[in-house]
Amino acid sequence: MNNLLEQFLSEARDFLQGIGEKLMQLENDPDSTELMVELFRFVHTLKGNSGLFDFPEMTRVLHASEDLMDAVRNGRVNYSQTLADQLLEAMDFVGSLMDEIEVTGKIGSNHLVISTELTKALRALLDTPDAVNVPVAIEVYTEDALTVKGISWSELPIMDLPETIAMGLHRCSIDGETVLWLQYTPEPECFFKGEDPFFLARQIPDVAWRHVILNNSASTLAEMDVFSSQLVFQLLTIAPETELDDLLRYVPDQIHRVKIPALAFVKPSGSSTDQAIDDDVIDSVLALFDNDEIDALIHTINTMLELSSPELWSSSALRWVLHLIDAEPDNKPAQRILLEAFRTQTAPDWSVLTPPIVPQHKTVSAPIHVNTSEIPDTLLRDFNVVINTQKEILSLPATSSGAWSAGRLKAVGATLIGCYRAVQRPHEIEGIEAALNIALTQNSPVPLLGWLETSLANTQELIFKGEPEPVVASLAAQPEVKFGRRTDDARGENAVAASKTLKVDQDKIDRLMNLIGEMVVAKNALPYLANRAETVFGVRELSREIKAQYAVINRVAEEMQDTIMQVRMMPVSFIFQRFPRMVRDISRKLGKEVELVLEGDATEADKNIIEALSDPLIHIVRNSLDHGLEMPEARLAAGKSVTGKLHIRASQESDRVLIEIIDDGKGINPEVIKHKAYEKGLIDEATLERISDQDAVNLVFAAGFSTADVISDLSGRGVGMDVVRSAVEKVNGTVGIESVAGKGTRLFMSLPLSMAVTNVMIIESNKQIFGVPMDLVVETVRVPRVQIRTIKQKQTTVLRGRIVPLLSLNDLLARNEAQLPNEDDEFATLIVRVHGEHVGILVDDFRETVDIILKPMTGILGGLPGYSGAALLGDGSVLMVLNPRELI
Amino acid sequence: MAIEYKKSLAVFSDFVGVEDAEALLEWLGKNPKGKVNFEECTHIHASSLQVLMAVKPPVVAWPKDENLQLWLKVALE
Repeated sequence: MNNLLEQFLSEARDFLQGIGEKLMQLENDPDSTELMVELFRFVHTLKGNSGLFDFPEMTRVLHASEDLMDAVRNGRVNYSQTLADQLLEAMDFVGSLMDEIEVTGKIGSNHLVISTELTKALRALLDTPDAVNVPVAIEVYTEDALTVKGISWSELPIMDLPETIAMGLHRCSIDGETVLWLQYTPEPECFFKGEDPFFLARQIPDVAWRHVILNNSASTLAEMDVFSSQLVFQLLTIAPETELDDLLRYVPDQIHRVKIPALAFVKPSGSSTDQAIDDDVIDSVLALFDNDEIDALIHTINTMLELSSPELWSSSALRWVLHLIDAEPDNKPAQRILLEAFRTQTAPDWSVLTPPIVPQHKTVSAPIHVNTSEIPDTLLRDFNVVINTQKEILSLPATSSGAWSAGRLKAVGATLIGCYRAVQRPHEIEGIEAALNIALTQNSPVPLLGWLETSLANTQELIFKGEPEPVVASLAAQPEVKFGRRTDDARGENAVAASKTLKVDQDKIDRLMNLIGEMVVAKNALPYLANRAETVFGVRELSREIKAQYAVINRVAEEMQDTIMQVRMMPVSFIFQRFPRMVRDISRKLGKEVELVLEGDATEADKNIIEALSDPLIHIVRNSLDHGLEMPEARLAAGKSVTGKLHIRASQESDRVLIEIIDDGKGINPEVIKHKAYEKGLIDEATLERISDQDAVNLVFAAGFSTADVISDLSGRGVGMDVVRSAVEKVNGTVGIESVAGKGTRLFMSLPLSMAVTNVMIIESNKQIFGVPMDLVVETVRVPRVQIRTIKQKQTTVLRGRIVPLLSLNDLLARNEAQLPNEDDEFATLIVRVHGEHVGILVDDFRETVDIILKPMTGILGGLPGYSGAALLGDGSVLMVLNPRELI
Repeated sequence: MAIEYKKSLAVFSDFVGVEDAEALLEWLGKNPKGKVNFEECTHIHASSLQVLMAVKPPVVAWPKDENLQLWLKVALE
């Protein structure tokens, strides 16, 4: 991925975020022009940026959004809830495209349909006149849609195909391939955009038949405008539609395509003769057919073919009968219709075969231009240009001589007559002539001008309503408008540029942090060195100097470490900011009314922590909305306010971040939880009886627990709270829940501020040293051998009135050695808290505690359970850090 | 030059771009009996194609490129 794209993606995400926020704010303050203008600027810049890349689907949707926002900004369209919904949906789509770009570097063509629908929906909100004419993108007529679109069989755009091609296509169609008829009408200005429609047309694969039409409006060669496309390409192809979508993704609005049903190809052609086949011959053939004597029928037809000239229509029809019998032996009705067609010598009428296909409107003049007026766009445009020029001429002040020359009036009159003839309005000519005569007698342009204006007002259909808007921003198209808008941008971008933030790739920060970590370790080697200088080499002076230097380096290193931690700190608002939108969407979907209160979103924590927090939090909020808060009626019945309250609060407590999610919903009923857990086999009967209410509530964290009976797309899949717990524990956090039935639920998470430095205790076992994270260590005790009791072959001891199970570290690590006691026959015991229970781990000896930079193990070692990572010690040795949670 | 203009013959070669259209139109205007040779041509820009379609000059040789030949034949015959 190149730098430009990377930057685009990172900026675009900010813009999307900004757009979402602004829309949220607009909900509360729909009249704020300031917000509106800002919102427009975001969308506009995002669209502009996307135009730099090859993402037509994205640009198209953004373009439509921009137009919509422009209309809202200018007060042409009112801001509404549906509008916000539609825009948010569009932005979600853009966001999903960005995800795809980030992964694959491009957008698949499968998004075309959604992009088209979104664009249409956005355009639909713009009910201003100039927006109506934005071309509808692809129209796919399928066989079934024929009725809906009101196209009859005869109007299908099948040209007079050569018989062999038609037969081939018919067979392809029978074999299940889709035969598509494509008409590609490039927009006239396309050459200025660097497009080559002919090249594009040539790229279309599997073309069975092709045709090019030139709609040249110029009468002489010299007048021809070579730089305005006047071509129309038509073709039949059996290429897969996805391939075509991909190929034609830039010009979907210039493509008209129709899926051709197989029978439409069955169309005998040739010269008809007066000597139609005798009725009795037809009768006998039909008799053979009805009696299912197919072999005899084929024989008869072959004989008939031999006797007649192959160019005749009837011969062609006979060949088609043979083809049909061969290709569709079971389609008797079709064969019969074809045979019946001999009587009339006209094309078979397939519509009887498919009753729903009844021609509904017969006024479609040209089958090709199903959705355009009968006057081609190019002609209409030219007509308007000429008419407008004539209007300008007529509005000119009189010549210096003080009078209008008759010649000028006559010229205008002749031009107008010519124009109206060209657009097939000959009945207007009389009017022009009459007006011209009056004008000539009065020697004034007013009568002609008057006629022209009334005429134009009466013939709205002749007014050209603008070209299809270019999808990709084109400088050549509308320079003046662009310049106007650019200044808008410049103002907006200055505002952005004023902020002093620097965007740095996270990898660089991580690398910097690693380097500082290494320096901290290297620095820790200095005291060892000082020690060696004194004890091994006996130079006390040097030792002191090294220690002095160490103090300085230590101070700098610690400050550096502190600073890099600050850099990595992110406010929790990073995750909080998505909640307003999420809560709004979900509560609407559920029909609940929810007020969301966010507190302490400036609280900061390490980026990794914040990111790790994001998914669990979303899960919890969804749970609260789905299960916690009640429906408005239920709330009223319970004597609460209709609107439920959801509090999300972040705060800092010494070196930990505390996050609470509090709702005033129905709370958790411990009885229900107990029984559910029992039903699911998570607890046994004895536990069911004696479990406390608080413990019962905590059961929601058990794996596979779900109270919802119906699985919705929000929650209830039984993966939820246990996933939340493991995600939080992964970053050394804890999670808990408190609930009062009927009053509400409080869920709290406590997470370390930073994961960079880990405080570990070094212990010794079997002549090796290991680290144990200090936050798990409850205490260290020495247990005399006599106090160790064996219960059911498990070693235990009693510590302050509690039974604590004891495990030997050597056993846990599968070392076949007994732990070594000290001189007083006491075992060094590390009491750790694992899953809320205290467990004693017997080790050989305790050492000091150190701050280390814990590196998770990678590669083959990464799969090793029981270790959370490794770290370098000051003397250069490697310390393996145990993970007691997995070990036990 | 993708189009070489001889006395009464325009020889197309390689890729005929958008910039060739105007000159082609002019030449065909001046030489109404001019013929065209597409033999060595691989592609003709749509702008030149529409000029050719408007005039339909006699074709001395069709392009070797099969796809182009198919299209040119339907356009110019």
